[in-house]
Amino acid sequence: MPPKVDPTKCDGCQGEKEPLCEQVCPGNLMTMHKESLKAIIREPGDCWDCMTCTKACPRQAIQTVLQYQLAYFPGKLIPMVGTNSVTWTSIDCNGKVERFVMKTLVSGDDEDED
Amino acid sequence: MADRVYIDADVLILGGGTAGCLAAWEARQVGGDDLKIVIVEKAFIRHSGSLSAGMNALNMYINQGTPEDYVSYVRYDICGAPIREDIVLSVAREVNDTVSILEAAGLPMKKKEDGRYLNRGKWNIEVNGSLLKPITASKAYEAKAEIYNRVYITELIIKDNVCVGAVGFGVRDGKFYICRGKVTLLCTGGAAGLWRPNNRRDAHHRIWYFPFNCGSSYAMCKRAGAEMTSFDMRLVPVRTKDTFSPTGTLAIGMGAPMVNALGDSFMEKDPYYLSWGGHTAPTPIRMLAFQRETLAHRSPIYMDTTRGDSAKVIGLKGQYLDMSPSIVLYWGCNDHDPSREPIELDGGDPHLVGAHAGMSGAWTRDISRETTVDRLYVSGDALGAAPSRFISGSWTCGRIAARHMVKALKDNSYQLLEINPDTLDDMENRTYGPMRRFEEKSPEGVWTDGTLSGGVSPKDMESRMQKIMDEYCGGRTHWYFVNETYLSIARKHIKRMRNDQLQYLCARDLHDLQLAWDVINRLDVCQLVIEHISFRKETRFPGYVNRTDYPETNPDYDCFINSRWDAETDEVKCFKVPYQQLVPGDRRKQSI
Ligand SMILES: Cc1cc2nc3c(=O)[nH]c(=O)nc-3n(C[C@H](O)[C@H](O)[C@H](O)COP(=O)(O)OP(=O)(O)OC[C@H]3O[C@@H](n4cnc5c(N)ncnc54)[C@H](O)[C@@H]3O)c2cc1C
Ligand code: SF4
Ligand code: SF4
Repeated sequence: MPPKVDPTKCDGCQGEKEPLCEQVCPGNLMTMHKESLKAIIREPGDCWDCMTCTKACPRQAIQTVLQYQLAYFPGKLIPMVGTNSVTWTSIDCNGKVERFVMKTLVSGDDEDED
Repeated sequence: MADRVYIDADVLILGGGTAGCLAAWEARQVGGDDLKIVIVEKAFIRHSGSLSAGMNALNMYINQGTPEDYVSYVRYDICGAPIREDIVLSVAREVNDTVSILEAAGLPMKKKEDGRYLNRGKWNIEVNGSLLKPITASKAYEAKAEIYNRVYITELIIKDNVCVGAVGFGVRDGKFYICRGKVTLLCTGGAAGLWRPNNRRDAHHRIWYFPFNCGSSYAMCKRAGAEMTSFDMRLVPVRTKDTFSPTGTLAIGMGAPMVNALGDSFMEKDPYYLSWGGHTAPTPIRMLAFQRETLAHRSPIYMDTTRGDSAKVIGLKGQYLDMSPSIVLYWGCNDHDPSREPIELDGGDPHLVGAHAGMSGAWTRDISRETTVDRLYVSGDALGAAPSRFISGSWTCGRIAARHMVKALKDNSYQLLEINPDTLDDMENRTYGPMRRFEEKSPEGVWTDGTLSGGVSPKDMESRMQKIMDEYCGGRTHWYFVNETYLSIARKHIKRMRNDQLQYLCARDLHDLQLAWDVINRLDVCQLVIEHISFRKETRFPGYVNRTDYPETNPDYDCFINSRWDAETDEVKCFKVPYQQLVPGDRRKQSI
């Protein structure tokens, strides 16, 4: 389900050789808009909804928005990626908030659950 | 002419996915420091392929019993049909070892109080697999494989039935890549997108299988003249409605039963399903039951989470966040609480996979993973006739292939082979054909909407192909039913597309060129599917392929259906290959 990019947050990954969202997408879908120099998905319908780009964006500029044919407005799901875990915030259409901290990697400093 | 990049390797790996990354690692272990290992991948190996959204379980692990018991289970799970028991056994013997390698690489394993892995049902173990792909890729980095990301492989280079390497184009730089290997492993996954999907327009890739694996491994093997197997056995997914998220978490993890609109748990009532084991009946039978209930107007069909293990319901959203996060958003946006309400199911578009509950792929010699083309090996979803290897088995299969490859390389002192320059020019022309055509045809005219008046876009060609397959080769809108008449119509159209229409296929840029090759490959695989299904004049996998003209199983077809494509005549010649039972016992029953 297509990632939507917030133009006020996306800085086009200045300084990176290639914008991170563009670098990671397994379907080669994220690309730089020629004029605005901000990220855009080439073709929303081609997205598999893996959320890799959403998780990779260092500025939290990408939000996964479900196609309206599948789900109502305005629920949200926001991942915050930490070193060894990811914290998901789910806000449903009625504003109910749930948080989930999911472990992602075992490493030496496993206590670091940021 | 495009700029060229020449890459020479000892071990050439095409597709840096689940199987490819572990193959690189194992090649280093057994091949030593001097071996040159190259991975060529169309995306970026840290996030590519089926694992890109994460996964929450490894579906193959010997928690109990023996590797032989696993073979018995796999055989049962596809209705007792023939499988390559030698291959499945070879994986089952090493899979636990592989899992411990990945645990050491940082994969968080869920454990029981006694320290053992937390099992899900008999053969699965639970993981926090959100970073499964980066962790898998770390093994390829550790092996110091030379990695070429964003190179789309289009063709294998074959000389007198020996694989010399492969060619492709740089998705970013547009260069023509010529890769040679003393041995080559092809593991670019299975095939999605042959049939029309349930969701349309901006949700058309909301399907179960990874939509960017488009059958390139099957198509390339076929075009290379390799013997192919089991394209009559496709996977039909019954998954969560709309999102097509995996259901193992519900069915196996929580023991949630399938129920119909009347609340009946039909798997536990109907004597036919009971004879197959009821709730845990083979995967195709559960699909069949779903179809029958729907066609008898007892739908919607649900997975009843309210009847499952209530302790597990609490962790359900977390488990999905590790694997298919968007379903959690979907529930939030549709006011759905899975602990209070059952989850609706649907049947999706069929997929071809070799390593999941399907077995299409290349045929291989003994357990070497070498195809009938010399020096060409396959693993993961690309390998046929050995279902239910899943993630852990695909890792393992990659390792086993690599070991055989390195051994063959050393035993035979294989050298790199020369490629005729004319052959390369031809291959380059074919590779860039759709893009060069776009340039040629542009001056002829462009409509006001920017499309060419003299050509067809990859998207349009894909839609045409998917419509044909859906309507004439047993897609979802036809409830997976086929007969010879339908197949003959599908055959006619797919032939026309392949032989007459591809000359109009035009790609406007490098991204479009990938889409063009995706459709070329899919069309090649469609031909295999149609001919294999047509050849198997029986119904051996009810629920997957329902033949209305041959609705029963026929003992004459208790064998593999293999094929070879003849480039001269464009015929796919199918033939029977006998099955060898290695693990004794009733094939329609699990041993434990
Ligand atoms: C939705 C889903 C859920 C699943 N759930 C589970 C589960 O819970 N547990 C489990 O054990 N198994 C599960 N599986 C099965 C498991 O993921 C697969 O069996 C396994 O990942 C297959 O590995 P592979 O190496 O063949 O394919 P992949 O890992 O997909 O690798 C293929 C690679 O080839 C690349 N590629 C493709 N075409 C080209 C080309 N032309 N040129 C260059 N590169 C190319 C791709 O980008 C990719 O990197 C699931 C599969 C899916 C799709
Ligand atoms: S990763 Fe984020 S900041 Fe960088 S280009 Fe993409 S959306 Fe913009
Ligand atoms: S969600 Fe996945 S498939 Fe979709 S654009 Fe982002 S990275 Fe690509």
